[in-house]
Amino acid sequence: MTFARKLLQAASALALTATAAVSADIAVVGGKADDLFWNKIKKGMDDACLAVVANGGKCTYLQLQTYDNLGADAAQLVRTAIAQGANGIVVPNWVPEAEDPAIKEAIAKGIKVILINAGNGDKARELGAINYVGTDEYQAGLAAGEYFAAKGVKNIICINTVPGAANLEARCKGVADGAAKAGSVSNQLPLPASSFGDPTAVAEAIKATLLKDTTIDGAITISAGDADSAATGIEQAGLTGKVMLGSFDFNQTGLDRIKAGTQGFAVDQQPYLQSNLGVTLLASHIDFGNLLPTFPVLTGPGIVDSTNIDATLNGVAAGAR
Amino acid sequence: MSAPILALRGVSKSFGPIDVLHDITLEVRAGEVLCLLGDNGAGKSTLIKILSGVHQPTSGTIEMDGRTVTFDTPRAAADRGIATVHQFGGTFPLMSIGRSFFVGAEPTKRWGPLRIYDRRTANEIAVKAVRDFGITRIDDGDRLVGGLSGGERQALAIARALHFGARVLILDEPTAALGVKQATHVLRIVNEAKRRGLAVIFITHQVMHAMSVGDHFTVLIRGAVAADFRKGEKTREEITDLMAGGASMASLEAEIEGYMASHEGHPPPPHA
Amino acid sequence: MTETARMSGPAGTSGSGRLGALLRRPEAGALLGTVGMLVFFTIFGGLGFLTVASTASWMNVAAGLGIIAIPIGLLMIAGELDISVGSMVPAGSMTVAIISGHYGLPIWLGIPAALLLGVVVGLVNGILVVRTAVPSFIVTLGTLFSVAGLVLGFSVLITGTTSVAITAPDLAKAIFGSFYIQGQFQVLILWWLLATCAYIYFLHYSRYGNWVFAMGGDKVSARNAGIPTERLTIVLFVLSATSAAFVGMCQAILFNSAQVSGGQSYIFNSIIAVVVGGVLLTGGFGSVIGIFLGTVTFAVVNQGIYYTSFDRNWSSLIIGVMLLLAVLMNNTFRKMALNYTPRKGNR
Repeated sequence: MTFARKLLQAASALALTATAAVSADIAVVGGKADDLFWNKIKKGMDDACLAVVANGGKCTYLQLQTYDNLGADAAQLVRTAIAQGANGIVVPNWVPEAEDPAIKEAIAKGIKVILINAGNGDKARELGAINYVGTDEYQAGLAAGEYFAAKGVKNIICINTVPGAANLEARCKGVADGAAKAGSVSNQLPLPASSFGDPTAVAEAIKATLLKDTTIDGAITISAGDADSAATGIEQAGLTGKVMLGSFDFNQTGLDRIKAGTQGFAVDQQPYLQSNLGVTLLASHIDFGNLLPTFPVLTGPGIVDSTNIDATLNGVAAGAR
Repeated sequence: MSAPILALRGVSKSFGPIDVLHDITLEVRAGEVLCLLGDNGAGKSTLIKILSGVHQPTSGTIEMDGRTVTFDTPRAAADRGIATVHQFGGTFPLMSIGRSFFVGAEPTKRWGPLRIYDRRTANEIAVKAVRDFGITRIDDGDRLVGGLSGGERQALAIARALHFGARVLILDEPTAALGVKQATHVLRIVNEAKRRGLAVIFITHQVMHAMSVGDHFTVLIRGAVAADFRKGEKTREEITDLMAGGASMASLEAEIEGYMASHEGHPPPPHA
Repeated sequence: MTETARMSGPAGTSGSGRLGALLRRPEAGALLGTVGMLVFFTIFGGLGFLTVASTASWMNVAAGLGIIAIPIGLLMIAGELDISVGSMVPAGSMTVAIISGHYGLPIWLGIPAALLLGVVVGLVNGILVVRTAVPSFIVTLGTLFSVAGLVLGFSVLITGTTSVAITAPDLAKAIFGSFYIQGQFQVLILWWLLATCAYIYFLHYSRYGNWVFAMGGDKVSARNAGIPTERLTIVLFVLSATSAAFVGMCQAILFNSAQVSGGQSYIFNSIIAVVVGGVLLTGGFGSVIGIFLGTVTFAVVNQGIYYTSFDRNWSSLIIGVMLLLAVLMNNTFRKMALNYTPRKGNR
């Protein structure tokens, strides 16, 4: 884009501001759309944007090229959105230290911001964003812990293949607290880096743990892939049906297990809703001045179990779950 | 006197504009030790590389048994029976004596449907070959080459060369890194190789070592033959003076410099 | 067949006798390491560590790792390194899962395709290493990332996801991904043992093994001795990449799913197994039995932890210390082998 065109655009944007009602021009910052998860975010945005476009606005998806320099790159994308004249930005608050200055800059220029996916309500208030749409890792863990306890599971292990990662620790802590509410217990099983990515090692570690402590009757993994390993570990220990398996996030094999009854449930953060609601809320605020009193807006935890597995499978087929 | 096995005729070598060897002529006969003497940087290692096929001469010819030959690769030189043994002897210190002896030419035997490496034969041949050189301390072919003394390694390498039909043995400073006792050992092995009818080119800068085994001496200075004489024609002091380029060398040096000057800007034609 | 019981290396019957000869072999340290770890975990893990389930536990982990570690070890003995196995494992899984899971084509098409991918990547690695003067660490680092990128890109392009489900027919499961003996032992263990035997023949009994050692000792001298070093290097790279793809393929069949990520731990784990097994990082020294034992040691340490009452947070520390001890032991034995002289007082 040449400088002249930019100038022209800025001028026309100004003119519009001065004369007519503003149409939403929303930039969504996100991960690579070739990533399974971000693909759902993209679909949520695309679906919401049908309404935005119908009201004379537009949406742009600004994606990271790599995840190597997450904070700085995301901040750069926020500044790109500012430079492109967006009047609304939907952005995950992955690395607050790096991104906050850019977000504040946008808000200072009168651009409306909604945080999605990463962040929380307090952060949104602090920055002056109009809302946070997403999940809370701790809440997700809490829901899982409560689900286990409600099904009568007494002793749960939370298998963490990346011990030390703050969001994953929060999930496991949530499980423990949720379980504790109903008198169950949950301990974390941290696996060393040498078994990360080796499904056999993860499966065997889980099997060994289950054999060592026979009171364990529940297991939850921090990712969908690990749940595949856990299912094998449980089977190897001869405890299928006796140890309830849960997972954070899910994949096709996990859903198949839920359908077959060998996995209890999966906790979904419903990424489709994050961008879909984020864009919708932001556009209706910019276009029509609506403001949602619910704060923050949680899209998860959504529990997938035998009761809603068929609807979920349909959603997966449509690329929205 | 028999005909030379290997001879260089007017060999020169330059790397780009830098002349390293000038008009080298030398010959070596069966059962004779030619000592190549020279200080560091005299061009000894380049000469070895030409003899062993690593480099090709820029001009001049190599003859074997009176016929002109070219060594395009080290393999080609080895196939003609030229074996080079470097300072540290065995180049595979972590291999067993038997295995390193037969690298690339392993004896095998049938074992069911498979052919397997014949460790026993390899060890027996290797140990016997080394012991024939008087190294009686070696009796186990499974020992690692790296555990042998410097002299033993030289013996192993020379025995290996002989076993695989070497006719010309190039020894590159075999005694340089050794103590007196070990060096004596190696010199005895050189004499034994000579006795068995090998043509030996013995590269060294230790005059004493050269004199104790040499039949024929060539002194290299700055890439040219500065002196060429037979056993008994010069005293140890004279040879040392020659190598060090002492006062008596002044005229020779002038001659060499003159030669170099005459080649300046006129590098010899490339090797055909 | 007394020959079969013995391998290359400093095994002599003379001198200080059988025990001394055993201690000077490349796998001596590895053997003591394995025994030491088994004793350690039997003491601290209690009887639970000796059960069928726990034996299966470390053997299953060792099997997949071992199939990859041996060709990596051969490369290291030959003076090269291959870290691209880290992405060849998921590449193998994803290839078979996409072909036979996503497209639903016969598994007998998916399996050879996964292996073929290994052969191709191995050829690329080998040819690049041989034709350029670039160290194999750098070349395979390049293919590590390239293959990871290709797998991710194609996976999303073709399936729209990064995780593909696959349901293999019974026969394929029986051969590549199922459990036997009380439903505990992966069939991969059998493949691992077969591969180990084949590699023992290759490295220690065929003449080609001698070439591998010679290449690692001194590549130039090896070439001068008439060894086709370039061809052999390429063959070794093909072996390692194909083995990694094979393990990935078996995992996909066993776990009914394949992920784009993962497999990276095989890079370090295989190098650890190889080094603990007594292979010299700089090449020229080592043995297949040693690598086999190194793999077992690694798996025992990695899985034994779960049978002890140690706090799980210390797992990595314990693994690290155990492996350091094993490597130190190896160095001691290698020095013994090098300094060995049958008779004293003659130096």
